[in-house]
Order: sequence, then C-alpha cells, then structure tokens
Amino acid sequence: MKRILLWLLTTVTIVVLLFGYRTSTMGAIGGDTVIATGGDLQPSAQESTVTGSSAQTQWGPVQVQITVSGSQITDVQVLEYPSDNPKDQQINNYALPILVSETLDAQSADIDMVSGATVTSVGYLQSLQAALDEAGLG
Amino acid sequence: MTERRFVEHVMGMPITMVLRGAESALAEAAWRAVIDELRWVDEVFSTYRDDSWISRLGRGEVGVRDCPPEVDEVLSLGRTAYRASGAAFSVWLPDADGRSRFDPSGVVKGWAVERAAGHVGHPDFCLSAGGDMVCRTDDRPWRVGIEHPLDPARLVAVVPVRNGAVATSGTAHRGQHISDARTGTVPEGLASVTVVGPSLTWADIYATAAFAMGQSAVEWLRSRADHRSLVVWADGSTDLVEPGARHPAASGF
Repeated sequence: MKRILLWLLTTVTIVVLLFGYRTSTMGAIGGDTVIATGGDLQPSAQESTVTGSSAQTQWGPVQVQITVSGSQITDVQVLEYPSDNPKDQQINNYALPILVSETLDAQSADIDMVSGATVTSVGYLQSLQAALDEAGLG
Repeated sequence: MTERRFVEHVMGMPITMVLRGAESALAEAAWRAVIDELRWVDEVFSTYRDDSWISRLGRGEVGVRDCPPEVDEVLSLGRTAYRASGAAFSVWLPDADGRSRFDPSGVVKGWAVERAAGHVGHPDFCLSAGGDMVCRTDDRPWRVGIEHPLDPARLVAVVPVRNGAVATSGTAHRGQHISDARTGTVPEGLASVTVVGPSLTWADIYATAAFAMGQSAVEWLRSRADHRSLVVWADGSTDLVEPGARHPAASGF
C-alpha cells in the first residue's frame, strides 16, 4: 500500500480536497484540507485506479479513489464521506469536498450536472451539459 | 435507481432536472410545476419582454406597489446584495453612454430556481438553469462538474452536493457579460467564480458579485459565512476559498 501511495504522489499532478462542514450547532464553518500534490509526471499507457488510505479529518474518515490514464487523472471518487459517520448526523450536506484536478476528463468523471458560466440556449448545444442530457434522455 | 431527466428552454436558457427514484407520473408533474413557475417568473421579470412588469417598471409606467409582491421581494434582495458587495453588484447597471439601466436579472435567476425547486415535491433531484443548480437528496450526493472556463470541454473540479446550491459566473459562454456596477468595466484577471452554499439565491448573487470584483474576489468570498468557492484565474490557476482561509491550488509547486 505504501508503494502505491508513493507512486500516487509522484504521478498525480494535483488533487485538493477541501473539507468544510457547517453543523446546526456550530453555525459556522470549520475546515480541514487534504492536499496531495506531485512533481514530475511518469507517463504510462494503461489506466490505473488507486485507492488512498482512509484519512482522518475533523469530521471523520475520508477515503478517495483516483483513476489515472497515462499522465492524466480521469476520475476522482470519494469512497467514504465523513457524513457517513452516524455520530455526526447534524452535518449539513451542501458542504461536501470540492475536488480540484487540472486534468479531469468530463467523459469519465461520472457527473450528474455541469456548472459553468451562464449557458444560453444557443451555447447549450455545444456544452457538456447538453452531452450529459443527451446521454441521460436516451 | 430509476433516473428521469428533463430538458426545456425557458428564459432564454436550458433548464435541466434529474430526479432519482420518482415514478413517471410524479416526475412529470414535478417537471410541469417547475416549468410553469419559471415561465411565470419570466413573464413578470423578463427585460426582453416589453410587456413584463419589470419592463414597465423600468420605463416608469407602473410603481412597485402596482406589481406582484414578488417584484418588491426581488428589489429588496437586490438592495441587500448591493450593500453586501460594496456596490459591485447592482440591479442598476451603467450603460455605455453613462446612464443607469434597470436590470434585476442578476438577482432573478437564482431566486427563481430556488423557488421552483420548492415546487418539486420529491426528495431526490437536481435542478439546473443554465449552469446554476439546486441539489436535494438524502441518498448519495449529486456530482456537479465545474466546467473549465478556459476549456469548456473539460472540468476543473467536481463538487459532490447533497443539499445545497452551486452557481458559477464567468465569461465562457456569453462573452464578457458581467461588469462592475461601480465602474461599468469588465473585471480582469478572473476566468470564473463558483460558489457552493445553502441557497441558490445567494450562491448566484455571490458568484456574480465576486466575479465583478476582479482581484479582490477572494478576500470578499472569504468573508461570506456558510459558503465556499472556487476561483479560476485567467492564467488557469485556482483558489479554493472557505471563510477565513485560502488554499492555493495552483499547479507547478
């Protein structure tokens, strides 16, 4: 596992997870940040999926799975959220982690919707949202 | 789980709703209720329709008290946003000739979608209007991809949201349509601002206001309680902002 994580750190360009949760008792935001960064890319032809170890945050354990194809991150999945922790039922769920990757490929990121600068009906035709909708309506 | 997706164009933009686990009659009824609500808002607030209440108000033909009460509600939101943003956000926008033009569109969109979401009557859905959305679920989070402003075919981030809203402002699709209400100039240095928060009404206003502020966007967003943001700069670097903190997420370090 250690070897896999080392590999991860040297091949992944950057993944930032920002954890901040508002609870009804706090009324304010607390936050933990888990940042994995890397240096040089080591290009590889195959696609690999790497599951990180479960990291403890202020709000509970978090586990992330990253899929890398060649030198690009093609998917980031959060396998375990702190809000699954039954001890913290008051977590307000709009504040799940924001996952940032420079190289996230929309086709394989498994997303439900796209947020972007205001899409007009004309611009929609070329948008990722339209592609998603077409797939979902079909 | 059954997933039903609907798309229709209202207010000049695409409206998309996805419902999970709703039987087809319920899903259809929810979708009709959402579209009816958005059409009504368009009739009242559209600046593109000469006969809308907002156009008549802008020409001074009617007063606020003649209009439906929602007009006063929106104007009041606009005043609050104006104060909260230090006047960067306003429903009075400076024209090229220096005069003020009445345009509450910056308040109406998020507010309208938040209202429409209240008509759905099902606990598991995501409703988007032109890239700004409300998510609701007790189940697995909705995964919202944030479009890369410099390459709209790619994503810059993914935000999983259970109950909340995501709004993005930028220049990618409409060209440069956001200007600083104080000067009428288009802000430089920013490519997009995404705000995640409890309601779309405020997430949308904050995203627009922060974008209009340009370089000072991060400072201001940090002072917004209950919201977190992703700022993408014109050079492609990013900042994740949460109240009281800043996390540089630029590559190359």
